[in-house]
Amino acid sequence: MNDLLTVLATRPLLCDGAMGTQLLAKGLTSGECGMLWNTGRPEAVRGVHDAYRRSGCNLLTTNTFGGTLSALERHGLAARMAELNRAGARLAREAAGDTGWVLGDIGPFGDFLEPLGDMTADELRAIFRAQAQALIEGGADALLVETMSDPAEAETAIAAAKDCGDFAVVATYAFQKTGDAEFRTMMGTGVGEAVERAIAAGADLVGANCGTALSFPDYLELARQLVRAAGKTPVILQPNAGAPQVIGGETVYLATPAEMAAIVAPLVDIGVRVVGGCCGTSPAHLAAMGHAVSTL
Amino acid sequence: MSELQDLTAAVEKGNRKEATRLTQVLLDAGMPPLDIVESGLVPAMSNVGEKFKKNEVFVPEMLIAARAMKEAMAMIQPLLTAAGIKPKYTAVIGTVQGDLHDIGKNLVAMMLKGANFNVIDVGVNVAPEKFLAAAKENNAHLVGLSALLTTTMPAMKTTVDAFREAGVQTKIMIGGAPITQQFANEIGADGYSPDAASAVDLAQTLVA
Repeated sequence: MNDLLTVLATRPLLCDGAMGTQLLAKGLTSGECGMLWNTGRPEAVRGVHDAYRRSGCNLLTTNTFGGTLSALERHGLAARMAELNRAGARLAREAAGDTGWVLGDIGPFGDFLEPLGDMTADELRAIFRAQAQALIEGGADALLVETMSDPAEAETAIAAAKDCGDFAVVATYAFQKTGDAEFRTMMGTGVGEAVERAIAAGADLVGANCGTALSFPDYLELARQLVRAAGKTPVILQPNAGAPQVIGGETVYLATPAEMAAIVAPLVDIGVRVVGGCCGTSPAHLAAMGHAVSTL
Repeated sequence: MSELQDLTAAVEKGNRKEATRLTQVLLDAGMPPLDIVESGLVPAMSNVGEKFKKNEVFVPEMLIAARAMKEAMAMIQPLLTAAGIKPKYTAVIGTVQGDLHDIGKNLVAMMLKGANFNVIDVGVNVAPEKFLAAAKENNAHLVGLSALLTTTMPAMKTTVDAFREAGVQTKIMIGGAPITQQFANEIGADGYSPDAASAVDLAQTLVA
């Protein structure tokens, strides 16, 4: 685990961008479980990883966002949880080779923890642990707990990831703008609390991905707050390609690769150590961002 | 009656014990059950909705208030049913075909119940014909469509088209993270709301 953190201390790194939209472009149908492609169309998933790797991404994220037992149950795929996660990690591992890192992707379980919902923290920890274990078996170097809204869920996932051994854990939240220079998750958690609780739970890298309708100036302000709250812990930020627009009935993210590359230097200047992309980003965006990172 | 205001406050805070106790006190005092709903419970959820829109409270506060209201309603509902009193408006709500996300849809359903709508939740991954059948069967005044994914937004248009082609003019409202007013206009939906609290305001405007 120290490898990633040691290198990060010496230079900023590039994480990858969106997976789902890339698979849709390759023929995944809306409503189909994208994780099925880890075994059904492995060359397509591998192709996305390869494209991001060629774009200069140092960290590749496994195609396992909805890979908890509870999320897969909705697709009737609970019995294939370990298999699909392992396969997803293997594909990213092949593309990353010896010089890239594989982040085993763990997304929200899809409901609320007690007392708001029925899931207990112990049950959820076991669910996250099972996914994390399968990702590590498939070759993940680190685990990415992402798009979190509830800090209690993030803590549970981080603890579950740490149960699996001495692996680096990255934790990111999705924020919305709730006031002038104020960001909160859907659950109302502010940047400070979200970051502090993730670090206290054992996260080695903290930050934000995605977000609701945030502009680039919003992301820069969010980055400042994340860096301030994280103290010595390195910060990761994976913005969308700008705020979404609707054109001809389709939702599109319009920021160009050049526009996304232009925020890389300011983000690193603020103190962000890992930059990447979320909704609307493609290998072309990441290539431009990678070029920006390499010229810093 | 101060117990009525106390009931509103208890539901707003999500204090289930106090909400059920006060509901019993009011029923014992002979207050008509519908008055307890309309003057005690509905204002509580409306207050929570207002605070939610202003980012003063968030999803957790909304959930616990709704749960307190639900427990009070469980005591009142049998009395309303026995008296043949039904909510004035019925809404059919679900997540569109191809989309399995239900948190947003559930929040809207909860807030509509909080405004005393009869809510028929048809679930997730709902085909256009299923929305149509449920709307007809329940004489719905309103249909609510939810989508979280940009990729399932076209299913909203298909659903709106299915209603219009069948000649069913039920009002249709849409919502979800990627949805905008512009998109609602483009597909011919009757309205869009950005969050669960605003969805109630929109629903009331559409059925009025």
